[in-house]
Amino acid sequence: MNMDDEKVIARDRMRFIRNSRSAVLCYFGILFDVFYFVNLYQSDVGTYYYNYNIGLSVIYNLLFLLIVFLCSEGVKNYVTSYSYALIVAGVMQFVRITQIPMKAHNAMVMVNGAETKVMGDGQFMWQCIFLVVSGVLLLASALINIKKSTELNAHLKELEAKKA
Amino acid sequence: MATLNIQHIDKIYDNNVQAVFDFNLDVKDGELIVLVGPSGCGKSTTLRMVAGLEDISAGKLLLDGKDITAAPAKDRDMAMVFQSYALYGHMTIYENMAFSLTLRKENPNVIHKKVLAAAEILGLTEQLNKKPSQLSGGQRQRVAMGRSIVRSPKVFLFDEPLSNLDAKLRGATRREILLLHKRLNATMMYVTHDQTEALTLADRIVCMSMGHVQQVGTPLELYDSPDNVFVASFIGLPPMNFFDVKVAGDKLQGKGYTVSLTPEEQGILRGYQGKEITLGVRPENITEGSDFKTTVTNSENLGMNTLVYTSLAGSGVKATAKLKGWKTYKVGDTAGFTFTRKHFFDKETTNAIRGNR
Repeated sequence: MNMDDEKVIARDRMRFIRNSRSAVLCYFGILFDVFYFVNLYQSDVGTYYYNYNIGLSVIYNLLFLLIVFLCSEGVKNYVTSYSYALIVAGVMQFVRITQIPMKAHNAMVMVNGAETKVMGDGQFMWQCIFLVVSGVLLLASALINIKKSTELNAHLKELEAKKA
Repeated sequence: MATLNIQHIDKIYDNNVQAVFDFNLDVKDGELIVLVGPSGCGKSTTLRMVAGLEDISAGKLLLDGKDITAAPAKDRDMAMVFQSYALYGHMTIYENMAFSLTLRKENPNVIHKKVLAAAEILGLTEQLNKKPSQLSGGQRQRVAMGRSIVRSPKVFLFDEPLSNLDAKLRGATRREILLLHKRLNATMMYVTHDQTEALTLADRIVCMSMGHVQQVGTPLELYDSPDNVFVASFIGLPPMNFFDVKVAGDKLQGKGYTVSLTPEEQGILRGYQGKEITLGVRPENITEGSDFKTTVTNSENLGMNTLVYTSLAGSGVKATAKLKGWKTYKVGDTAGFTFTRKHFFDKETTNAIRGNR
């Protein structure tokens, strides 16, 4: 191992330093999901949200928090498989825009005898921003981990080959 | 590495208790100095003053000729290893060792090289991903040393680093510290109350009592030519035997026994004719003979040696003899002994009597 080569040293450091960058991105992904969730029900007019969707939404959010947190621990230790779970979770954040936010944005309800949008343009924009940012962060976390874990595995193989 | 000059240092606490009195020492480059003494003698306080963890009440401290008396600990370029290891439990060994350099915002690649090099020296390469709780006491102490090594300090300070280890591990770690000193050729100050550590590790020993330096010298000097009764009693195991005797011509007269003096010893004691002095004899300087009779009060066989605890016939003065080989003395047996080497101390000052040698 050439310990004068900065790239080699940086790769070798991964043997002892955890992938905190990917983990931190996961935490921020969770944070923006929480922003989305908190912001969503601010536009509660009448009983629009009071159906099975609210139950599914709450359950999905709980699962999302648990899975992404678990993945953050996985990527911290350069486990590649957790990256794939993060990719799925990240893509799902984009898909979620087309569910509750978009439907609420298109839906109209009667308030004091006048037709009103359930979700205004401003709130819809924020909902999109929160979910997009959350999704991008999770995808970035996954991609960084895949890159780093691939490098680390190659480095470890190289070390083992040298030992042998 | 570095030289350290400690000049007339005192330590007086706020409650006016003085812990260290006029401490003077010049530590040479690459030297391993051991401060030894009983609990409360001021050795750790002295080390902490050198480290900058305690204020210096009076005196000067120079590192490479530069006055660092008032410099804060972080600016002294010294690393201290504590008895309690002081490792961060939530960090891996690698992170523990890299921590101080990370705080200084050093290049991560440079930190990596230094940590790997230190781990290699200390045989910790395989442990770097573990947490301190997964290591043995000896390994944890090595991590604490590694944390010091990565900083490449000018002076290493050790405050009773082996006290938490069991006897076997203490011996092994002691040898590692010695090897480390030889390998790094670093200036080191080491505090211990264990005379075995002091004798085996030190280039020079500073023996302290009640805040005062009693003697500074090589291990052999302290063992062979102690300056006073305290040093004579503290260095050596079992401790030196002391007898109150009167100088009478070519003999020393004790209570119910006499000890003959060689011409050389008579010369040393020329000025003490007719006066009372303290005779010191190391247990290993007592052999079986016929000079005086004792009654055996206990004996312990240690394999290579036998410790015989005796009471001098007629006087009841107690003495311990360390005889070579396996001896079978029983309690109540009469045993004859001879002193092969004697030390003389002034009874009033307790200082060694060396004559005109």
